[in-house]
Amino acid sequence: MRKLSTVLVLVFSVMLVMVFISCGKKRETIIKIGINAPITGDIPKVGEGSKFAAQMWLEDIEKAGGLQVGDKKYPVALVIEDNESKAESAVKANTKMITEDGVMVIIGPQSSKQAVPAGGVANDYQTPMISPWSTNPDTTKDRPFVFRACFLDPFQGPVAAKFVKEEFGFTRAAVLYDVASDYPKGLAEFFKKAWEEINGPDSVVAYESFTTKDTDFSSQLTKIKDSGAEFLFTPQYYNEVALIVKQAHELGFNNPIIGSDSWGSAETVSLCGEDCYGLFFSTHYAAAGAQGATKEFIDRYQQKHGYVPDDVAALTWDAIRLAQQAIENTGGLTGDVKKDRIAVRDQLAKIKDFAGITGNMTFTEEGDPIKCAVIVRISDQGEYEFYKQVCP
Amino acid sequence: MAFFLQNVINALQWGSFYALIALGYSMVYSILMLFNFTHGDIFMTGTYIGFGVATALVALATALSWSMPGWLLLVLTIIIAMFLTSILGVVVERVGYRPLREAPRASAAITGLMIGIMLEYGNLAILGTQRYNFPSIIETATYDVGGVFLTNKKILIVGVALLLMIALHQFIHKTRWGMAMRAMSYDFQVVPLMGVSLNVIAPMTFAIGSALAAAGGILYGMAYPVLDPFMGILLGWKSFVAAILGGRGSILGAALAGFLLGFIEIFTAMVFPSTFRDLIAYSIILLILTFRPYGFFGQAHSAQLRL
Amino acid sequence: MATQIPQTATSEHATAGLLPRIGRSLATVPALGWLVGVLCAVIIEYVIGDTLAVMLYLPKVPALFGTTLVLKQPLLFPSALLFVLLVYVLPIGAVARLSAGWTNRAAVALERVPIWLSVLVHLGLLYAVLHVWTEASDYRLQVAKLIMIAVMLTLSINVINGYMGEFSCSHPGFMALGAYASSVFTLLLFKQDRLFGAALLPESLGPYFFPIALVIGGAAAALGALVVAIPSFRTRGDYLAIISLAFMFIVKSAIENIEPIGGPRGMGGQPHWSTLPAVFAGMAICIWIINNFVRSTMGKALNAVRDNEIAADAMTVNTRRTKMVAFMFGAFWAGVAGGFYAHEVRHVTPGSFGIQMLAEILAMVYFGGLNSVVGSIVGAVSISMISEILKPLQLYKWIIIPLILILVMIFRPTGLVAFRDFDIKRILGARR
Repeated sequence: MRKLSTVLVLVFSVMLVMVFISCGKKRETIIKIGINAPITGDIPKVGEGSKFAAQMWLEDIEKAGGLQVGDKKYPVALVIEDNESKAESAVKANTKMITEDGVMVIIGPQSSKQAVPAGGVANDYQTPMISPWSTNPDTTKDRPFVFRACFLDPFQGPVAAKFVKEEFGFTRAAVLYDVASDYPKGLAEFFKKAWEEINGPDSVVAYESFTTKDTDFSSQLTKIKDSGAEFLFTPQYYNEVALIVKQAHELGFNNPIIGSDSWGSAETVSLCGEDCYGLFFSTHYAAAGAQGATKEFIDRYQQKHGYVPDDVAALTWDAIRLAQQAIENTGGLTGDVKKDRIAVRDQLAKIKDFAGITGNMTFTEEGDPIKCAVIVRISDQGEYEFYKQVCP
Repeated sequence: MAFFLQNVINALQWGSFYALIALGYSMVYSILMLFNFTHGDIFMTGTYIGFGVATALVALATALSWSMPGWLLLVLTIIIAMFLTSILGVVVERVGYRPLREAPRASAAITGLMIGIMLEYGNLAILGTQRYNFPSIIETATYDVGGVFLTNKKILIVGVALLLMIALHQFIHKTRWGMAMRAMSYDFQVVPLMGVSLNVIAPMTFAIGSALAAAGGILYGMAYPVLDPFMGILLGWKSFVAAILGGRGSILGAALAGFLLGFIEIFTAMVFPSTFRDLIAYSIILLILTFRPYGFFGQAHSAQLRL
Repeated sequence: MATQIPQTATSEHATAGLLPRIGRSLATVPALGWLVGVLCAVIIEYVIGDTLAVMLYLPKVPALFGTTLVLKQPLLFPSALLFVLLVYVLPIGAVARLSAGWTNRAAVALERVPIWLSVLVHLGLLYAVLHVWTEASDYRLQVAKLIMIAVMLTLSINVINGYMGEFSCSHPGFMALGAYASSVFTLLLFKQDRLFGAALLPESLGPYFFPIALVIGGAAAALGALVVAIPSFRTRGDYLAIISLAFMFIVKSAIENIEPIGGPRGMGGQPHWSTLPAVFAGMAICIWIINNFVRSTMGKALNAVRDNEIAADAMTVNTRRTKMVAFMFGAFWAGVAGGFYAHEVRHVTPGSFGIQMLAEILAMVYFGGLNSVVGSIVGAVSISMISEILKPLQLYKWIIIPLILILVMIFRPTGLVAFRDFDIKRILGARR
């Protein structure tokens, strides 16, 4: 009996001592930024990119000794939550970050599948959220607190269509896209619409699809080849791009293949190799010809993590810098996170011509940015060369 | 006509993978009456092992400044990877399935599923999120035969797949071990009384199935050279459909069902708009099972099924 | 030496005696007493939780007993432990033990009234506990609701995989059908949205129609189950596994191709009707009905079919009808759970209802235990909680959870609480 109680007393006293040790710090206002990213689940690479970009940003802020808002410097903390690439986990993560951690701004989630429901939560709790990557119109629609950092399909689709028409003068197009994924599907639809406006109805001679995680596209590509299309537009992610391009060549389809900003990853070339040389895609920036802040970001990221950042990392970087800008523009924090969130949201909506590394941004009423796109050519050395700029 | 023939070629290639993976499922299912849900991830691991072996061999050849011909490299890679992956299969059997031999069958299926998840995330933890490009072991050569495009890889894939299937069939039907396996598939409670140990046959079944998956994985890597820790999931579940569709106790049935699944998928995408592919393809499977409720070659379950 | 022996003996005796003595004295506490204890604990937390958290230098009242906090900030472990001890463990133990006298008398009194009344009293208390507990944090509320939805889902699949002994893989499909059917109903009638345009009825009427929406969801899932059941129950065997798997692919692909309900982009903007009382009531009714179902003649017939179909047939059990009814019954509840899910997450996409969800549901049901209502509850709650708690471990979470499951499977092959009847009378009865 005595032994046990001695142990209990000891444990209690150690606990109390530790409680007092851990309490050395005074409570002060910390600006918390929430990151809602798919660190596990089917797209861990996307989560990693977001996480690394956010951590790089944090380093900068810490080097500067905190974030200067008005006349005071505030320490900054990141709250990184894993949404497991699942809708309900993204919702839970947002609720947790808002109600438990008290974050000021949320960056993420990336995919629309999670961003749409999570945006609902952020809007209900009046917390500004910027999704770097989600293109679904529902993400920001009727949600004053939700923004995005990427451009929307209605803009990028016509850019690609116009570029092909001007550059090659083709009249018959083929499209291959992932029907189960938001981004490729939306872009494919807008591309089709734009192309038919330019070249008349039925000028998209093959409009084929597959499902996420498919790897064999031979049947669709055989159909595309058989339809007599002069080029193929495929707004797919880089891992699928490598497979599509290689299989197309193996089936004897040697016409140009055009892509979208989702091609803009270093892995496109490392996975695809020589098959992808000479192809064009529309994107935010060209890695090889990048200048200024963009180049600095790419170099730093590459030095730190060993590979050229994907578009998702660059967009996360921009989103978080936007948030920083908005916080700074409030001109001073009240210390009450609920009021500050509203102030940050108002500033975010007002931002004009923000110089991001993925282009200059101004938000529309809906919280969508207006920015320019560039056309990139994959050179014969496998580098992304700037080819042309297209602005809305 | 060329269009049709081209799709036949496509389906043959795609079906080969389903068939090779379904064989592994079917072996475990026929002999031990277990669902081996780890199999899709063993396939994934086999592909990664093949990737590692091929890379190491190339590095070795370069270090010794010895130009290794492509076919030799391929054969060596396949053999070494098959061997290594079969060890993995034995380990999975020992850890996940043997302790559960008396348990409900479904519990073993769940441990299998969980080992699969561990393999996926273990891979992710070790190799990181980067996707790897499977080395092109032999140079691709494309032939145009009257509008039908063939590559040497496609011929190789279908050929090797058929060769492995025939070898397996011979093994099961001509050797004593094969006979023991067939006996086990009739009744795995009585056969051990006749001097055939289940503790030998079960690991062997897993080893052969895993080796086939590794061979399939290397061929897959040559055809679809993007490696991803989650690549085995969907392929695995679909091959599971093929394995059961083939019928219990029939290796040939599983192989044929694998090819059939490939053909159904490719041809529904050919005939109908490709958005409807899964909808129509799996409705066809549903219909087949309505009219052939025992699969293709299987007989009705004679033994009492455990839970 | 000789003096030391009795000393150690007595001290060992006393040490060994303390914990069992606490255990023995707590064994006399009836369910009612525990509920009262927990209620007191949550009220204490509600009243002084914030103050105590500040005193212990915790950032806030720890949402899930401090577990989520500790993995991120290990230094806070003593504070969190102290908080849990002071707010939960001690009050619950003390109140439960001290009130054991009158709660036992109350339990005896409740044994005399009809069982449903007794159950209602206990459920009322349980709801009160949950209500006060979730008041402290919205995150906690959301986790609790999603766990309750998972309980319904796990129970519904246990009817098929446990009681019927088949291996069904189509539960994500049924859930998708339920989620979509109920969402279409509510969006069409009560909500102005992108897909269906203006609402037909005022939204304030909505909550009264929510049960109808759920039943419609369940009915849609049950109809889907019929499609699976007709071909698969022509024969005994594992064909249900692949037919149901094919069905899951079909549902996903079909929804992707129906543009009016959003296609692959999904359907969003459902009203937030999965409130705590609604989900709690849904779960209680679900447990009640499923428990009655499996203990009915039908449920026993189902067990008979599982254990020996030919013998069951000989005993005049209509095996085919039994299996069909049970399958549709299980699917119905999966559909209802889907309806709740859709109105909690408020956006559904066909992509969410896939293989990943299937693996989670299977893990829950086999972890908890086959053929057991309690087991399903245990499985759903523990897997959901573990998964929520271990989230800060990121990748390693997905190595630890499977490891736990494998170990459980090896040491308890049928799951934690398998083949045990849910005896409400015994659970709620007095302990003296």
